[in-house]
Amino acid sequence: MKDANLLGRRNFIKGMGAAAGVAIAAPAMAISEKADGVKWDKEVEVLIIGSGFAGLAAAIEASRKGAKDVHIFEKMSYFGGNSAINGGLFAAPGTPMQKQEGVKDSVDRMVADQMKSGRGVADEALLRHVAEHAVEALQMTMDAGSEFHPYLQQLGGHSVARTYQTTVSCGAGITQPLLNECRKLGVHTHNRAKFEGFLVGDKGEIVGVKMRENYHFGEDQPGKISHIRAKRGVIMATGGFAQNINLRMAQDPTLTAEVGCTNAPGATGEGMYEMFRLGAIPVHLAHIQSGPWASPDEGGFGYVSNYTIYNFPHSLAIHRLTGKRFMNEIADRKTRADAELSCRDEKGEALPPILITSYKDSKKHPNTKKVIKYNVGWKFDTIEELAKHFEVPLKPLKAQIEEYNSYVKSGDDKQFGKNMTKAKDKFIEAPFTVVRLWPKVHYCQGGVQITTKAEVKDSFTGQPISGLYAAGEVCGGIHGVSRLGSCSIPECMVMGMTAARSVMQA
Amino acid sequence: MIKLKAVLALTLGCLLTLSVQAVEVRDHHKEVIGKDCKTCHDNGIKQFPSDQSCLQCHDVDDLAEQTARNEEDKWQNPHNNLHYGKELPCQECHGEHQPKQPMCNNCHTFKFDKHKQ
Ligand SMILES: Cc1cc2nc3c(=O)[nH]c(=O)nc-3n(C[C@H](O)[C@H](O)[C@H](O)COP(=O)(O)OP(=O)(O)OC[C@H]3O[C@@H](n4cnc5c(N)ncnc54)[C@H](O)[C@@H]3O)c2cc1C
Repeated sequence: MKDANLLGRRNFIKGMGAAAGVAIAAPAMAISEKADGVKWDKEVEVLIIGSGFAGLAAAIEASRKGAKDVHIFEKMSYFGGNSAINGGLFAAPGTPMQKQEGVKDSVDRMVADQMKSGRGVADEALLRHVAEHAVEALQMTMDAGSEFHPYLQQLGGHSVARTYQTTVSCGAGITQPLLNECRKLGVHTHNRAKFEGFLVGDKGEIVGVKMRENYHFGEDQPGKISHIRAKRGVIMATGGFAQNINLRMAQDPTLTAEVGCTNAPGATGEGMYEMFRLGAIPVHLAHIQSGPWASPDEGGFGYVSNYTIYNFPHSLAIHRLTGKRFMNEIADRKTRADAELSCRDEKGEALPPILITSYKDSKKHPNTKKVIKYNVGWKFDTIEELAKHFEVPLKPLKAQIEEYNSYVKSGDDKQFGKNMTKAKDKFIEAPFTVVRLWPKVHYCQGGVQITTKAEVKDSFTGQPISGLYAAGEVCGGIHGVSRLGSCSIPECMVMGMTAARSVMQA
Repeated sequence: MIKLKAVLALTLGCLLTLSVQAVEVRDHHKEVIGKDCKTCHDNGIKQFPSDQSCLQCHDVDDLAEQTARNEEDKWQNPHNNLHYGKELPCQECHGEHQPKQPMCNNCHTFKFDKHKQ
């Protein structure tokens, strides 16, 4: 109930709506079958399920490697999944912009940062494979027409600035060009087509899928099942399961319907669970990440998330009861999300902390205007006004700002050891902009286990399941306990490309 | 309590007739709705209309022009938006037999004054 109050009636109801939608949408019937005697309705060369970064990159790469008949199937009415609403932040080591800005980085360094945030259980071989090919993936987006801000960002948990961001500050700045590129290359795209199970050959190999066509998500209309043969193989790019409240609560009972979620409605996970039924190895399912940059004042990712990601390095996060900082503003996600969740009033009720930024610095991000305009953030001319609005004790708050400004000057954060490089000369001064912070369920680290060739491994044999590949968030174990921000786009794209190369070589 | 039940019964009664009568017929639909269901229900009467159905009469470019916003907010145009361009199927936000929310509401607090729920 605490969270319900916090998130406000509007979001709470929305959460319930999503839950109900999923309940209607979840089919009890999905199941894989032997392909013996199946009457094929259609035959395709490369069959891709899911139209996010992983699916789109796979389709483009398969076409470039010579596939003539590539098909993407998407259960929603629109294409792009989480990728189309994503923040557009893309990390890669050794990029042209890093050379230009004099940032020293390497594959080793990026892998080391990720291993650290993964807390010892990340998959180093996969992280290395992704980091080695990340620049190539970045190039694929640029070739398709993606445009990026002319500056790098240093996100929480990264030891250097290595993150590009699209000029529209959204993953759509990548999915839209990639979708256009797919169409230019002659890739067939099908919406309202829901994967419901594999068709398995004599030797346990994947020969095709059962697809529900004319499918309307969350509506009561059965559509029609067709059997589609995949000549070269099936690439599963169906994303995570953060929107499936039953499944996420099975892993982590604290992630109830009352906890917000940043994901697109289609992130319900049945593709992943169907692979488990087939024999794929489940890894790290309980590692579900919450985004520490979200706001309880809007739904989903909204406008605030990118605003805060940009501003954290030169802002302070304040506990409203004490007027003091309570975390390193650029620690990794889990560290910050846990710290925010601990911000409570005397009765233990959630008390979303606030992020204070100087307007002169925040306004450089394009979302700042919108955050204020759409009432999900506020601007104050004096610290008194700010303190009064959020009921923060004024004296300790003033003292905290003074203390923090001394760290800006010395470059040494004595309170939390924050890396002050990006905060250089950015003193906290009026006028201020402020947003409220509260974590939202954001990313599923868990999924099926894959090889560095994007092959899905079988739990009993340890060998790849023939004809089956997976890429993107549906895969698990790569990031370990906590994924660093901006590391999913390179992963999804590189593994999508890798899956396509494997399919074309098989 | 009894009153509430009556209201509920009434609404349920209405729901039953929805299949033939739209909730609130948009003026420009009066000509077609209720006369020939197949005009919209091109996939069969018991099926949702196809994503192309509305486009028999409506032109996406015209709609995008009608709902255009100024340069700063240009990507908030529901008919030509940042995430899906002009490709968002009409039925995501509009329904004739049931009220619907604008899809942007999932994540944003934008106002769409003319949107008929
Ligand atoms: C709001 C938000 C912001 C983010 N920002 C960033 C960022 O800035 N940088 C970063 O690196 N990462 C970010 N992430 C994480 C990243 O966006 C996701 O991990 C990534 O988009 C996943 O891509 P994908 O291709 O694996 O899956 P998705 O993009 O989710 O695509 C999967 C698709 O498969 C479809 N599908 C699912 N099941 C079926 C089925 N049974 N049949 C047919 N289709 C199916 C879904 O509808 C969906 O369209 C963000 C995530 C969110 C939600």
